[in-house]
Amino acid sequence: MKPALSVVFFTVSSGAGLGLLIWATLARLMQGSQPGFGFAVAMAGVLFTAGLLSSSLHLANPRNGWRAFARFRHSWLSREGVFAVAVYPVAAAFLWADAHALRGLALVSGLLLVALALIVLACTGMIYACLKTVPHWRNWQTAVAYPLFGLMSGALLWLAAISGAAADQALNDTPMRQGTMLALLLLVAGGALKLSYYLRFARAPALPSLNAAIGLPPGRVRLLDVGHSGRTFLTDEFVFALAREQARLLRWVALGLGFALPGLLLAFAPRWTAPAVASCLAGLLVERWLFFAEARHVVRVYHGA
Amino acid sequence: MKLGLVVDLDTCVGCHACAVACKEWNGQSLMAGGAPDYDGHGAAPSGVWFNRVRHYEFTAQAPGPEQAQGCGHVNLSKTINVPMSCMHCEDADCVTVCPTGASYKRAEDGIVLIDPEKCMGCNYCAWACPYGARELDTDAGVMRKCTLCVDRIYDEQLPAAERQPACVLACPAHARHFGDFDDAGSLVSLITKAREGVALLPELDYKPVNRYLPPRAAPEVDTAQADARPANLKDRLRAMANRLIEL
Repeated sequence: MKPALSVVFFTVSSGAGLGLLIWATLARLMQGSQPGFGFAVAMAGVLFTAGLLSSSLHLANPRNGWRAFARFRHSWLSREGVFAVAVYPVAAAFLWADAHALRGLALVSGLLLVALALIVLACTGMIYACLKTVPHWRNWQTAVAYPLFGLMSGALLWLAAISGAAADQALNDTPMRQGTMLALLLLVAGGALKLSYYLRFARAPALPSLNAAIGLPPGRVRLLDVGHSGRTFLTDEFVFALAREQARLLRWVALGLGFALPGLLLAFAPRWTAPAVASCLAGLLVERWLFFAEARHVVRVYHGA
Repeated sequence: MKLGLVVDLDTCVGCHACAVACKEWNGQSLMAGGAPDYDGHGAAPSGVWFNRVRHYEFTAQAPGPEQAQGCGHVNLSKTINVPMSCMHCEDADCVTVCPTGASYKRAEDGIVLIDPEKCMGCNYCAWACPYGARELDTDAGVMRKCTLCVDRIYDEQLPAAERQPACVLACPAHARHFGDFDDAGSLVSLITKAREGVALLPELDYKPVNRYLPPRAAPEVDTAQADARPANLKDRLRAMANRLIEL
């Protein structure tokens, strides 16, 4: 599959923004006054909105983008759009209630916001996990990866936000320690999930044979001529070539930058949250690019795989 | 109605006439909305095709004892040309995943169509299609696909014999047939049954409608009998005439 950079950026940026929103909201609900909360919410809004705008760059005809809300009952992409837009009014309600110290409304809208953000992330995962045409994606790891990586990068961002605020305020270390523990746990879980995705990758159900694809009886089939002399939409979109060695290297880059390095930084240099965030987001960008570049679509079979 | 195509892999000669006729008709069709070319006369021509023909070599794996005779040739070893367009699946995932409702399947005849007024060009339907039947028109920013020439097949101003998709009319080998698979007595149903036509990638369970007729083993030619002296006078005269022509 061709990795569309707009979609790669969208899923990483929006995921991190929603994760940050979730942790900021939960911390606010559970711990009350929290330095860095305002900064965190603003950053979450920027990341989430930048991601959504980037996703519209992927559309060939963005004028009809608003129609994406139409098929809520059938399409995960439509569901993602509806829930993503619903995040804004709910977040506004939560912030308003929070600012006016309306505890009941803040609690209800805050929990609703957390649930909504998780649903958006889950919808993104299902967009890919539901495709029967890409066997590599059709597993629970894909569905879980998007919410988990969103929560993971969000937790790191949340930690960076509160540690930034702690630098100029006297802050007891409890939220910091809790945040560090949470981020570490999520990094371990995320790394384990990605590792299991990569380990499982080679054993994913193979693409159908050329015989099955053309409906031929058992026998030897090979591609003689693909029927076109240049590039086509199909070869551009589905026959993305990535050298195996390159993919292997990038897998280690994704695992190292996205999970291992931020984890080590948190464990041994807990004040270095900004480099940890940068490393994690860079790693996730590589991970997401590879997610597309490595996946093989059934249409490849007709082109000689 | 369940309209669809039958493609005969035994007789298709791979001439691409169906693909060209499709371009010719749908390139200007209001219903399909056009199939543009990019850099058509330039160094790297590309474009939107609703129907693409690919060419494969097929060799039967285990020739039977009667096929292994002769000069050691495997009986069934041939080039298979495979034209592919939209299969108009009964359970079309491209329609299910479309977020805008631009992709739809007509209840009355099962044709899968795209409404270009609604399409936002997200490519998701093309991802959901295992047959490569959908291609993005980057000029208009919308997805395009085979319409089964919906603007031909119901056109009462055309002679009845021409109310067929352009690809079917163009095929010089009569390797393409169009009809209603719901009607057990229709030509497409009958030849699919007689020739044991198959669906492509049935395991994905999209229930494609189009059927492909598998290649047949060529009938054995009895060379001993062909070389024998003809028995009756008429055949002898014919053989003599043939020899005269070959002089």
